[in-house]
This record gives sequence, C-alpha cells and structure tokens, in this order.
Amino acid sequence: MMIPALELKTIKKSWGALQVIHGIDLHIEEGEFVVFVGPSGCGKSTLLRLIAGLDDPTSGDILLQGKRVNTVPASERGLSMVFQSYALYPHMSVRQNLSFGLENLRMDRVEIDRRVDDAAALLQIDPLMARRPGQLSGGQRQRVAIGRAIVREPQIFLFDEPLSNLDAELRLQMRVEIANLHAQLGNTMIYVTHDQVEAMTMADRIVVLRSGQIEQVGKPLELYNRPCNKFVAGFLGAPQMNFLSGMIHPDGTLDMDCGLKMPVRLGQTLSQPEKCTLGLRPENIGVSLDGAGDMTVKVQNFEQLGSVTYIYTVFANGETLTVQLGQQIPLRRGQEIGVTFDPNRFHIFAGEDERALELIGRATA
Amino acid sequence: MGLATFLTRTRGSADKANRIGAADILAYGYLALGVLIILVPVLWTFASSVKPERAVDSFDTRLLPMSQIERPVEGVGNKTSWIYIDEAGTTQEVFKAGPTRRETDVATFDNPTDVFTVPRTGLEPNEEVRIATENYLDPILKRNGQDNFTFFTYLFNSVFVTVMATAITLLINAMAAFALSKYRFRGRLTFTILIIATLLIPSSIILVSLFFVVWSFGIFGSLWGVIIPAAATPTGVFLLRQYMLTIPDELLEAARMDAASEWRIFWRIVMPLSLPALSVLAILSVIWRWNDFLWPLIVLISDPSAHTLQIGLTTFSGEFDSDFHYILAMTVVSLIPITLVFVWLQRFITTGIATTGLK
Amino acid sequence: MSIAGLASLIIGILWIGGGTLWLLSRRTYGVKQIPGFAMDLIGFPVELSQSVFGRKGVPYALLMPNMVIFGFFTFAPMILNFYVSFTGGSSINLFDRPWIGSANYSAIFQCESYFDPRTCSNQGFSFWRGMGNTLMFVLIQVPILCAAALATALVVNKNLVGRGFWRAMFFYPVMLSPVVIANIWNWVLHRKGILNEGLGQASDAMTALSGMAGFDMVATILFAVLLLVSSERALRASVDPSLPWAALFGVLFLAVFTWASPLAMIGFQAAPSFWLGAVLVGGLLWFVSTAHPRASWAITGFSIVAVILLLTIQFDAVFDFGRFRPINWLVQPNTGWPFFWLIFVFTWSHMGFYMLILLAGLQAIPADLYEAAKMDATKPARAFYRITLPLVMPTLVVVLVLSLIRSFQIFDEVWLLTGGGPGRETFMIVQHIYETAFTGDRPAYGEAAAGSVLMAIVIAVFTFFQLFITRRQSEL
Repeated sequence: MMIPALELKTIKKSWGALQVIHGIDLHIEEGEFVVFVGPSGCGKSTLLRLIAGLDDPTSGDILLQGKRVNTVPASERGLSMVFQSYALYPHMSVRQNLSFGLENLRMDRVEIDRRVDDAAALLQIDPLMARRPGQLSGGQRQRVAIGRAIVREPQIFLFDEPLSNLDAELRLQMRVEIANLHAQLGNTMIYVTHDQVEAMTMADRIVVLRSGQIEQVGKPLELYNRPCNKFVAGFLGAPQMNFLSGMIHPDGTLDMDCGLKMPVRLGQTLSQPEKCTLGLRPENIGVSLDGAGDMTVKVQNFEQLGSVTYIYTVFANGETLTVQLGQQIPLRRGQEIGVTFDPNRFHIFAGEDERALELIGRATA
Repeated sequence: MGLATFLTRTRGSADKANRIGAADILAYGYLALGVLIILVPVLWTFASSVKPERAVDSFDTRLLPMSQIERPVEGVGNKTSWIYIDEAGTTQEVFKAGPTRRETDVATFDNPTDVFTVPRTGLEPNEEVRIATENYLDPILKRNGQDNFTFFTYLFNSVFVTVMATAITLLINAMAAFALSKYRFRGRLTFTILIIATLLIPSSIILVSLFFVVWSFGIFGSLWGVIIPAAATPTGVFLLRQYMLTIPDELLEAARMDAASEWRIFWRIVMPLSLPALSVLAILSVIWRWNDFLWPLIVLISDPSAHTLQIGLTTFSGEFDSDFHYILAMTVVSLIPITLVFVWLQRFITTGIATTGLK
Repeated sequence: MSIAGLASLIIGILWIGGGTLWLLSRRTYGVKQIPGFAMDLIGFPVELSQSVFGRKGVPYALLMPNMVIFGFFTFAPMILNFYVSFTGGSSINLFDRPWIGSANYSAIFQCESYFDPRTCSNQGFSFWRGMGNTLMFVLIQVPILCAAALATALVVNKNLVGRGFWRAMFFYPVMLSPVVIANIWNWVLHRKGILNEGLGQASDAMTALSGMAGFDMVATILFAVLLLVSSERALRASVDPSLPWAALFGVLFLAVFTWASPLAMIGFQAAPSFWLGAVLVGGLLWFVSTAHPRASWAITGFSIVAVILLLTIQFDAVFDFGRFRPINWLVQPNTGWPFFWLIFVFTWSHMGFYMLILLAGLQAIPADLYEAAKMDATKPARAFYRITLPLVMPTLVVVLVLSLIRSFQIFDEVWLLTGGGPGRETFMIVQHIYETAFTGDRPAYGEAAAGSVLMAIVIAVFTFFQLFITRRQSEL
C-alpha cells in the first residue's frame, strides 16, 4: 500500500476554552486534489493552517509521507500556500516576491532564476516581473501568488480560499486554470473554499466540514447523489435541495405535511413511525401545466433563463418547492400546476442527526 | 475691494457677504499673527547676527547690517570715518583727531595734518552695508582669540550622539514593537503595560539616581552616557507597535511558508513595511537628541571635548556675556542644520506625525 | 576599565565572533551578501533563540535589548531613587553612602509655617519655593497651551489656502533647541532689544498722534462706526447672531468699556473695569454661542451701552502714553514679567507639537458628521460644542496629560532665560533638584532624591486627578 501524502490522526485544536476542531481523521493520497468545503466558521481554514504548520494542533498527529511533523516549523515542511489575500510582499517586485523564498533556502542563483522564469512562463506573468503587487490587477496578483507557491516545488499545495477576492468572471477563469495546473504539475493540492461550485468542479475528493467535524468525504458526484445527511444534501447543489417535512411509517409509507402520500422501499427497518424530512432535487421534479400529477402547487415566481427554467412554487400548507426544468414553458403567477415525483430519486432524512435512510432501487444519475 | 463691499453692503447681498465670511478673515488674521510671532524673533536674530560688533553692542535696531567705514591714516593707523555737514549743507569726510567734545578736532583723510574744529552735532558716522562674516568665522576658525568655542568638536559630538542614538532607537524599538504586535506569548500584556507606564514616568524625577546608574556603568562623562539611557523610548515602541498592528499577519505567514527565519521576516518584511512610522520616529528622535539639554549638561559638563553643540553654546554664552555678536552668530549656526532638515522635510513631518497616530 | 566596560567587551566578542562562526557553519554567503550577513549578525541572538527555543523564544529575544535599557535606565533608577533619598553625604559610590533615615525629608518639611516657605530650613525653602512656582506655572501653562493648541488646530484644519505651510510654520519652533530659543528671546527681550524699541516707537507715535487737533473726534467716530458695523453684522448674519462678528464686537466693546472705565465713578482704578468688561463680554459670547432667542436683544443692549460710554471717553488722554520707559523684561523683580515671558516662550516653543496631535484627532472626525449637522441647520458654534469637542476629547485628554507632565519638568527654558530669577520668582522644582545634586562643592544627592520622590508624588496625584475628572470624556 502506498504511503499517503498526508495523514491526519484525531486532530483537535482549541483557542483557550473554545474548541474549534473536534478530532479529525483524514488520508490524502499522492497527487489528489482535495477540497475542504463548509460554511464559514466550520474550521476548514484552521485545519489548513494546522497542516501548513502556522498553528500547532492541541492534540493529534500530522503525518507527511508517513513522518510525524507536529513539531516541524512551517518553513521546513516542504509545503507552499496561496493565501486568501494573496499576501504578496508589497515592497518587492514580482520577481523578488517569487525568489524570496528560494533565497531563504540559500539556493543557487542560477537555479532560482530558472525556477522563477519557468513559473512565470507557465502562468504567463513574464511581462509583469518588474512590477510591484500594487500595480497588478486582481487576477494578476492571484497568478503571482500561485507562482510563488510553484517555485518552491512543494510536495503539497495549500490554497486558502484563493478565489474569494475575484469577481465572478475571473473566478470562473482562474478555476479552470488551477484545474489545468493540477493536471500539468500532478502535485497534491488541498483547497479550502466555502463555495460548493468550486468544490464540485475542481475536486477529486470533497471533504465537507461542519463545526470542526467531518460530515462526509467522497467524490463530488458521490456526495451529490448520496449525501449522508441533510446538511451535506443541503450544502451541495444549486438551487438547494427542497426539504419537505412529514412522517415515515415502518412499512415505507411517506405521509408528508403537504398532503403527499407515497410508498418507498426502505433498505432498513424502522421500529415505529418517525418524523422525517423528504429531500427532492429541483431537477428531479416533473411538471404538468394542466394540473395533473402527484400534487398541485401554486406558482409564486419563476425565472426563465432560456436553457433552464426555475419555478418557485408553494404547497397549500405553505411549504415551498423549487422546480428546475431544462426547457421553456409558458407560465404566469398564481397559476396552479401539477408536479410529479420519482420515488427512486428521493432522499429521506430521519433521526436526531438527520441521517439519510437506505432506500432500495435508487437511481444514481 | 474687500473693504468697499464691507462698507457698502446692502441687505440684499447678505448671502454674498456671508461667503466672504468673518470666520475666514479671523482665521487668516490669526494665522498671520501667529506666523509673525514665530518668525520675527528668529529672523531678527538672523539679521542681528551679521551685524558688526559695534552695531550689536549699541543695539542698532536698523534692519540692515550697517558698519562705520574705517580708513588708514598715515602714521596713525585705521581711523573711523565721519561725515561733517556744515551750516551751508556741504559735506566732508573726516576723522576725529582728538577726543569727542562739544567742539571736536577733526581732519580730512587726504590731509591728516590739517586739524580743524567742528561742532559735534555736525558729525554723522559714515556708514556702509557690510555683512560681518567675522562673527561666524572668528569662533569657527579660532581667530581673534576665540579658541574656546571648538565648533567642529561640538558639531561632531552632536552629530555622533544624534545619529547613534537614533539608529539604536530605531532598531531596538522596532524589535520590541514587532514582538508586542505580532506574537502571542506569555507576558505580552505585562510588557505592554510596563512600556506604557514608562511613558508616564517623567525623566527629570529619576535624574539623581540615573546619574548613579550611569556612573556605575562607567559611561559617565562619555557620549555613550547620553546615548544609551535615551535609546529605548516608550513613545517609539508605542508608535511602531500601533503601526505594525496594521501589517496583515498573512504576510508574515507567507514569509514563514517561504522558509524565512523570524529575524529575516523582521528586517526583510516588517522593517520595510513600517518605513512611514520609522521615519516619523527617526525625525522625532533627531529632534529630541539634537536638542537634548539637561541630561547632557549633567553628564558631559566636566569634559569640554565631549560637549555637544547645545552645551558648548551654553557655556560659550555664559563666558562671553557681552560678546553678543558671537553668541548670536553661533546661535544661528546651531539652528541652521535643524532648520534645513525642517525645510527639506516639513510636509512629510507635519503630515507624518499627524497621520501615523501619535494618539 | 570598569566592570560594565569589561562585560560589554566580552559580550561584543561573543556576539561578533560566535555569531560569525555560527552563521558561517550553517549558511554560505557570497560577496554580494555582505550586507545581508551584517544584518544576520546583528540579529544573531534572535536567530539563536529561534533555533534553540523555537518560535516561542523569539519575542523574548526581540524584547530583550529594549527592556534591558528600560530596566537599567528607567525602572532601576525609580527604585534606587527611594534608597538614595534615605542616604546622606556626597559620595558617588552607592555603598559609601550612610543611611540617615528620613532626615532628608524632614529637612524639607522643617517649616514654622507651611504657608510661607521663608520660615523653612534652607532645603525646605528651596524645595517649597520651587514647588510653589512650578505648580503656579503648571496651572497657568497647561490651560493656555491646550487652548492655544486647540484653537490653532481648529484654524489650520479649516480648508484654507496654504494649509501645509501654516501647519509647518507652527511646528517650526518645536524643532529648535532650548539654548537657541533662549538666546533668541534673550536678544529680543533685552532692555535695549527690539521689543522695547518697537513699543517705544509705537507709543511715541500714538502720543504724537493723540496730540493732534481733532483726534478725539476722529477716534470717537471711527470706533462708533466699527461698533455699529460689527454689531449690525452680528445681528443680521441669519436667524441667530453670528459668533465671529459677535466676538469682534466683544473685543471692541471691551476696549471701549476699559477706556471709559465706568467703575472709576465709584472710585476704582481702570483694572477692575477691564475685568468686569471681560466678564460681560464672556457672558455675551456664551449667550450667543448657545443661540439663545434673546441673544440679539443682548447685542443691541450692549451696543447702546457702548455708544453711551464712547461719548465719555477722552481719546487724546487715552492714547497719550507719555515717554515710554523700556522694561527689563526678564530681570525686573516684582513685575510678573519674567513669569509671563516664561509662559509665553514655553507656549511659543511647544504649542506646535500638541497642535499636530490635536489636528490628527480632528481629522479623525468623519466629515459627513458635519455635513449631516449642516443638513440639520446646526449653528457652527453648536456643531463645535456638540460634535467637535466631544469627539476630539480623547485626544485632548492625551494632550492635557502630556503637557502637564512636560510643564512640570520645565527646566531648560527657565535656566537659560532667567536662571530662576529675579530673586527666586521663576525658580522651578527641577532646578532645585539639579542645583542640589549637581552644582556646588558638596553635592547633596540624598536631598535631591528626596525632592524627586516628592515631585513624583505630586505629578502622579495631578495626573490621576486629571484623568479622573476627564474620565467620562475619554471613555467616549
């Protein structure tokens, strides 16, 4: 078995009395692109800083290539990091910014120049080498920050929300570039973001964090199709999954508050009727304009984007339902429409921790 | 024009009159008065310092440096020149051939042996405008017996004290400020409070015992006795700390990821980025050290070769109570360097001190 | 060579030698990296502590030099001061100094009457005289300095032409050394100096002018016009009277009131009239600044009074100064002039610094507050009291504390201008300490230290009292 590039063993971290990381175990393989995603305050940045060596864990072990590095200072772990604010040295030129770290390692001048020039060519920042960070645009700064990480030829790249300071268009572009970079360099990369779209598009594996704990780890579509609990289901996907509340009976009958009654095939046994939440992806709901279907709902609002139509509807009991259609249909506000559901694409969450119930015969795509 | 509108204003133009604004007139008046009070004494000292000894001693209040012309007279030596105006209004250049009485004996320079008597009231000093460079050159070049004011020694001592003390102050204050602003460590609050407490300890209440400490360190009487005790300034630490707090921590972390040692972070990242605050402190430190008086007076008074410009000037003024022309010239000399610094950096000094948050 | 010298030599050798070896054993330096090597060498102890203790050791190493100097040259003397104040003799060696208990303090407190320093022992007289003068100096100096600094800061904070130039000019005297300042002012204030000359010429000119026929009439008309114009402008400014014009009117009114001297009718001198006039004008201005509805009536009333008084003034007598006798400003005893000039020169030379601090405070007030106030039709005076003053208060408290501590320590200017004289009119506490300890044949370090301790207590009490009474404002 290959030694993982990075291994975390029951990592905990407290700031004084406040515990922010509650015991995290994780393996990251060589060459993987792993994204830590979660809402703000979930501890994802703290976890990254622990890996980087900028903060020390309260307990637990961090292993790089199988070696324990808890006491190794950041500078000697052989990692490099791209910061949210880029953290470019404002008083140095782009070239000096790139070579500063290598000079600290007392590297040969020829080698420094070679690496800096290579990185500049790769990121297409060669014309900017004499400028100061203050004279660069947001996207250019972002590239310099990545370049500074590249020249170190690190074992692992760490990215701390690197795209959050860019506008939407640039973000899209840089997302593609970072993904290409990973394909070209093949290094292990750990990427922190709060944006689930970035996570879905870039990651080999996604780690969903909440309140200092891992909720679920897996490939993007795995998480999308089989979220292990309501939190993960709600966090991934836009527009958000619809949640309807109701009861589930041991025989597999759903009895929802909105009036929907439907049998599902449970993959596990329930001892008694339980409160549950039914999760429905907006794209898995069918619409009929004549009102036929499993239920009727009232159109509150709708957005026609051409290729896609979003319909915001409401049940008679006030619960809302968002529907996504891949076609254009004529609609008006207040109209009653029929919706149809596919039980094979249901997600049912029950219990204290709102875990997903096993369902038989569920469609995966 | 302003006065005309002021006096001829009618009710209808009240709005327009408001724009001239009594407040603005008062403000400019205040500023002009203030600048006059500040500049007139300095400029008057400067104007007086280039007047010849006689004019200074007689408190000549004319603006220009007037001095009486002297001409050689055969067999007598130099004589001061006077103008004699007789009743008819004709003028004649003469010198006094005898003591000044109501009827004074005078003679012309062309014919010195032909002495004649004129009334004293008809004699006027024959004057010309002359810059009295000797006021400056005598003490500096030690001419005319002025060898007590060793100007270049004083200047060297002052520059040495100022430069060394400022360099040390900048370095160690920046180090302390860096530690207090960018590290979390046990005792940080204690150290911060200690330094703020120092801010409130007036230096003159520890004068006596500081003298004992400096004496037992063996630096009493030497320039280091002035430099070292003043090197650690609480103001400097405080000012730099406030400034360094604004440097983002991510920059330091990036440098740590770049394998820079903490010291290298300090002088390659933090020092260059604190340049605005460092320059303000440098200027303050130069002002403090250059103008320092009481402590150098105690430490250095016994050894004239260690006097700074300020102490040298004080003893010089004390010894030559009547030689006002030399005192004024040396006063001007010692105010010139700081004035040049001021003129050169004034915009920077005022905005720097105001914005770097000496708050 | 002293122990301290030896110690610093050893430290120096260890630092440079050891540091060079340590650095060269770890890193290689090219010829181009010599400046880098020098900086690394200076920081060698910090590097060493990082490699031995990790990053946790670094802040202590960084704080070390500063704290060592503070420790030896600020904190140690603080404590040592107490010890020295309990010892006697004039030995400079601390171990040679006999312990004499509180004798130094009792010498200071040995007075027959505590209200008259002349009844004290020599030490006591010198101390209490210095303390009394210093307290008087501080109590007069601090308000004047702060008021002048605030007024100047407010003016230069306005949007005026050449703002940078004005600011710089007011700061210029701060850069001059006390010796230079003293020499300049000695020269100006000399008995035959430019000030006396100027005053003499001005008074001669006025006397000559007042002797001319019709002067009385012309002056009366001139003042009447000025009074009417200023009061009319004050009243007509807008709904409420304008404060600047009212101030101008106040100045004119005060001059007229003093010259007419209405109190002379009941047998007083001119001085009480001046003070009464000042109180009246102060009240009027306060009235106007609060935008009281009756303020315009008050101005009208005052101008009627002023016109009536104006008719009683004999201007040719007022401006007949006779022959001007030059005043020896810094030497003449029992005139108060030396003390006055001390305060003047101190304000002259220190105001700029406090002005800059206050200016920083004023500039921190967001401009939109004033714009909002303008939208609410707030009078400028009200905006000053309700917006500027409360928001600049924290800065003003800092300035108060700093100037208090600074004024307490006044020495350079006094020593160089008046030498404490005439008599002991300007003899300050620091001069007492300096002269007791460092001049004379038998230096009395113990007595000087006792004086320093008492002075420290007084300063501490003052500072805390000041912080206490301004605490509400500074919390804002």
